[in-house]
Amino acid sequence: MSLATRLRPARGAAIAVLIYLVMYLVYAISEASATSVFAITNLLDNTIVLAIAAAGLTLVVLTGEFDLSGIGVIAIANVVVATTSVGILGWFGALVAVVLIGAAVGLINGWLVVGLGLQSLAVTIGTMIACEGVALVILAAPGGEVSDTVANGLTGDIADVVPVAAVIIVGVLMLWFVFARTRLGIAIYAVGSDENAAGLSGLNVRRTKLLTFVLAGAAYGCAGYLLSAQTGSGDPRASNTFLLFMYAAVAIGGTSLAGGRGGVFGSVVGAGILTVMQKMLFALGAASFYTSVFSGIIMLVALFVGNLSVLRLRRRRRGGAEWQSATPRP
Amino acid sequence: MAKRDAPTLSESKPARLRAHAARANPELLPVAVVLACAALLIIATKILNPGSSLTQQLSAVLVTSIFLVVASFGQGLTILLGGIDLSIGVVAGLSAMMISVLTNGQNASLPWAVPATLAFCAAIGMINGLGIALAKVPPFIMTLASGITFFGVGLGFTSGLAQRPVAPALQALMSGHWLGVPIPIYLIAGFVVIAAIFQNGTAEGRQLYAIGSGPRAASVLGLPISGLTILAYALSGLCAGVSGLLLAGYSSAATLDIGDPLLLPTIAAVVIGGARVVGGKGIYLGTFAGAIFLSALETVITVLSLSQGLRNIIEGVIIVGALLLQSERWGALRRWSN
Repeated sequence: MSLATRLRPARGAAIAVLIYLVMYLVYAISEASATSVFAITNLLDNTIVLAIAAAGLTLVVLTGEFDLSGIGVIAIANVVVATTSVGILGWFGALVAVVLIGAAVGLINGWLVVGLGLQSLAVTIGTMIACEGVALVILAAPGGEVSDTVANGLTGDIADVVPVAAVIIVGVLMLWFVFARTRLGIAIYAVGSDENAAGLSGLNVRRTKLLTFVLAGAAYGCAGYLLSAQTGSGDPRASNTFLLFMYAAVAIGGTSLAGGRGGVFGSVVGAGILTVMQKMLFALGAASFYTSVFSGIIMLVALFVGNLSVLRLRRRRRGGAEWQSATPRP
Repeated sequence: MAKRDAPTLSESKPARLRAHAARANPELLPVAVVLACAALLIIATKILNPGSSLTQQLSAVLVTSIFLVVASFGQGLTILLGGIDLSIGVVAGLSAMMISVLTNGQNASLPWAVPATLAFCAAIGMINGLGIALAKVPPFIMTLASGITFFGVGLGFTSGLAQRPVAPALQALMSGHWLGVPIPIYLIAGFVVIAAIFQNGTAEGRQLYAIGSGPRAASVLGLPISGLTILAYALSGLCAGVSGLLLAGYSSAATLDIGDPLLLPTIAAVVIGGARVVGGKGIYLGTFAGAIFLSALETVITVLSLSQGLRNIIEGVIIVGALLLQSERWGALRRWSN
C-alpha cells in the first residue's frame, strides 16, 4: 500500500462518520434537549470507554492479529481504581498503575504470540479469563470507591461548556494522527498489509507486533480508568458484555480484521455510532431490544459499503484480481 | 482412522512405533497427548475428592462436556475454512429459549418443536454462510453481526420471560441412564463417530480441507466453494442448536443467555485440538480431545473449592499452557520427521 493511499482517510471511516451524523440528526430532531451541553456530555461520557478500548484494539487488529484480552484488563483496571484511588495510590497513582498493568498484560500477550508463536485468537482468550480472575481476586463482589477527583473530574464540563470527555477524545485522535505518521505507525500498516514483504524490506515484524499489544493493553487500562469514573465504583464483571462491542466498533469504523486497512479514527466513530444509536432509538421510543438488532445490521451495512469501495479500488489497480479478505495471510 | 492406524500395531519397538505413528498421521499424536492431559486432570479430581469413584468423575466430565463436544464441531468446520463462528453462543441460547417456548414445559409438542427449533438454528447458520460465501463479508464480522442481531430478535420475542420451564423428556434425556451409563455418554459416542466420519472420511470433508488450505487452488479445481461454505456454517448453526437443546434439558430452565459461556471455549477447544485459525488444519478427534480437556479442567477447578477469581486464573493459565505444549510438540514433531 503506497503512502498516499494509506494517509488518505479510509473510505470505511467516511461512511461511519456519515452514519453517525444521520443518527445524531434523527436523535436531535426527535428529542429537543439533545443539543444541550448536559446531553452532549452524557452522550460522550457513554461513548468514551468503548472508544478508548476500541482505539487500543485497532492497533492490534491493524497488524492482523486478534486481542480478546481487553475486557479482562478493563475489569482489573476498574477494580484497582475502585480499591486504590481513595487511599494508597490516589487518583494519579491509580492511573499510572492501571496503564502499567495494561501494558504488562499486553507484553505477556505479545510475548506469547510473537515470542512463542502461539495463535493470538486462542492465547488472548486464555489471558482474558486469567485477567478476569485477577479482577475477581482483587474485588470479589461489586463495591469499592472511586476518588471524587476521578469521578467528577472526568465526567464534567470545563467551564460548564466543554465536556471533559470531548477533550479526551480529541486528544486521542490527535495522538493517533501523529502516531500514524511515526515509524511505528507506518510499520503497523506495513506488517498488516503484507507481513512477509514488511519483514523482507527490513522492518522488525516481531517488535512491531509486540509493541501494538503493549500499547493496546495500556489503552484498555485507560478505558478501565474511565469506566471507573463513569460508574463511581468497582465491579469485576462490569465489562463482560464489552468484548463483542469493541470488535463491532472497530468493524463499523472500517478497519479490516485481516489487517493493514483502517485506523483509530474510524473505531472511535464506530464506538460513537453504537452509543448514539441507543440514544436515537430511545428518543424514537423504540423498545430496547432494537438496539441489538440495529447494531448488527449497521455493522453489516458499514462493512458492505466499505467492501464495495475496496473491491472497486483493487479491481482498478490489479485488473479484476479476486479479493480474499476472509482468509488472513499465513 | 482405523485403516491408517493398522500398520503401527505390528511394530514392536515403542520408538519406532511412535515415529511411524507420527509419519502415518502426525495429527493423532497431539490428540493422544491432549486426551492424556484430560485423563490426568480427571485423576487429580479423584485425588482431591476421595469420596467419589473414578468412574463417577469420568462420567461427570463426559456428561458436562457434551455441549462443548457438539458445538465445537461446528466451530471446527468454520475454522477449518479459515473462518470463525461467533454466533454459536447466541444460537444455542435462542435454541434453548425457542424449545421451551414452543413446548411450554410439555412433552406433547416435542416431535414438531425439536425439528422446528433445529431448522431455525440451521437457518441462522445458513444466513451466515450466505453472507460469507456470496456477499464476501469476513466471517468474524458476519457471525458477530448476526449474533448481535438475532440476540436482539430473541430479546424482542421473549421480552418479560426471564426463565422458561423445559419439557420433561429433554430433562430426562440429560439425566437418564441406560445400562447404568448416563444417556449423554451414548449421545457423545454417536456424535463423535458421525462427526469424525464427516470431517475426515467423506469427500465433502476433504474438500473443506482443500478450501481451507488454499481457496484459490480449490476454486481452480472447480470445488463448490460457496456451497461448502454455506454447508459448514449451516452445520455450525445446527450444532449450536443441538447444544442449546441439551443445555435446556440439563439446566431444566432456559434463558436467552444460557449459551453465552459456550462461545469462547468452542474456539479454545478447536485450537487446543491442533487446528490453525488460518484454516486447512486440524481433525475432529483433536477438537473432541480439546473439549474433553476443557471440561475436565472445569471439573477439577470446581472441586478445588477455590474462589471464582482463582479458578479463572488457573483456567486461563492452563489454556495458555495447553497451547504452549501443543506448539512445542509441533516443533518436536517436525524435528522427528526431518
